[in-house]
Amino acid sequence: MKIYRLIYTRAGRIFVNGVWKDNPIFCMILGICSTLAVTNRVENALAMGAGVTFVLLATSLLISSLRKIIPARIRMITYMLVISTFVICVDRFLKAYFPRISEQLGPYVGLIITNCILMGRAEAFAIKNPLGYSLLDAFSCGLGYSYTLLILSVIREILAFGTILGRRVMPGTWTNWVIMAMPAGGFVLLALYLWIMRNLAKLEPEKGGI
Amino acid sequence: MKEKIKIVFFVFCLGSVCGGFLSGINAYTRERILRNQELKIKTAVLNALEIDYPPEKIEEVFSKNIEKIENKGRVIYRTAKREVAILFSGPGLWGNISGVLALKPDLETIQGIQIISQEETPGLGGRIAEKSFLERFVNKKTIPRLLLVPEGKAKRENEVDAITGATMTSRAFEELLNKSIADFRLLLKKE
Repeated sequence: MKIYRLIYTRAGRIFVNGVWKDNPIFCMILGICSTLAVTNRVENALAMGAGVTFVLLATSLLISSLRKIIPARIRMITYMLVISTFVICVDRFLKAYFPRISEQLGPYVGLIITNCILMGRAEAFAIKNPLGYSLLDAFSCGLGYSYTLLILSVIREILAFGTILGRRVMPGTWTNWVIMAMPAGGFVLLALYLWIMRNLAKLEPEKGGI
Repeated sequence: MKEKIKIVFFVFCLGSVCGGFLSGINAYTRERILRNQELKIKTAVLNALEIDYPPEKIEEVFSKNIEKIENKGRVIYRTAKREVAILFSGPGLWGNISGVLALKPDLETIQGIQIISQEETPGLGGRIAEKSFLERFVNKKTIPRLLLVPEGKAKRENEVDAITGATMTSRAFEELLNKSIADFRLLLKKE
């Protein structure tokens, strides 16, 4: 009973919003580009999820603690500067310690800079909320993004290569669905995923929209 | 006015802190990144020369089997059996293609080719990095020159099947290989 009540505290609401009600991918539909690009293998999805979560946390930490001294007129430039600094950090780290993953992710690590989730969370949350809540928000959004990537990549890797993290899970007679490794397969799967999740989360399309 | 000074000061401070932080990260990771790149070249050379190696002993196998000769800025890798491998790099259709070309001891027949990096169209020109394509070059003669011909038409021993749908990449790759081989011959003559 007590654990259930946690959801109604402010922290609980922020967390639930990030991973479920306001999930960056299936509710806000942000970060779709990287979602399609890196979910062909579980390994890539994990690295990408961890990278984005780290940059989110670091950006929220800095923006939230500097929020009283950041001049309002140049807050966007400040986000860009902070985000790119941390993204370059992640990129160098992967290049140095995980060269194989870095190569497979290709330009998409650098493109975290333009991932709307980061800019969005900085502007919508970190700039006007205290440090603790901002970190929680960053963490839950990172988690929401990562588990979506993980689910999609598990399905795609099984269908496209018959493996999970490079280990064979399907019988030898399994025919690889090459299309699942390609962007087209990503689009189809993402659409199905959005449909299922939005139904589960009872998200209605806005009235009067297209 | 005071507001403007504050903005300039803030941007200056933040910029310096971020810049300083990145220089630190760069200094910390540079050595490892350079080592990874070198390891990649070594792996490609070993693959091109068809020398087997356990993944964790690349450096060891490399230094045991291969002699590195440097001549006027160009590097030649030579094995005890006098096979040689040279690095090549040049323009493809979209970006740079670089890789390793290994020749048999007669210095005319191709032993193997490996691609280190390429930026061709994925699924079309990008297939030059695939094993099935690179295997077409094995045992081909590079004299008088290597020719990439339409897929399925290769008959003579200096002809290789190109990639259908990637004519420009195939042409660029042919040019690049021939030029690298010609440069290498020139180097041999001078010696």
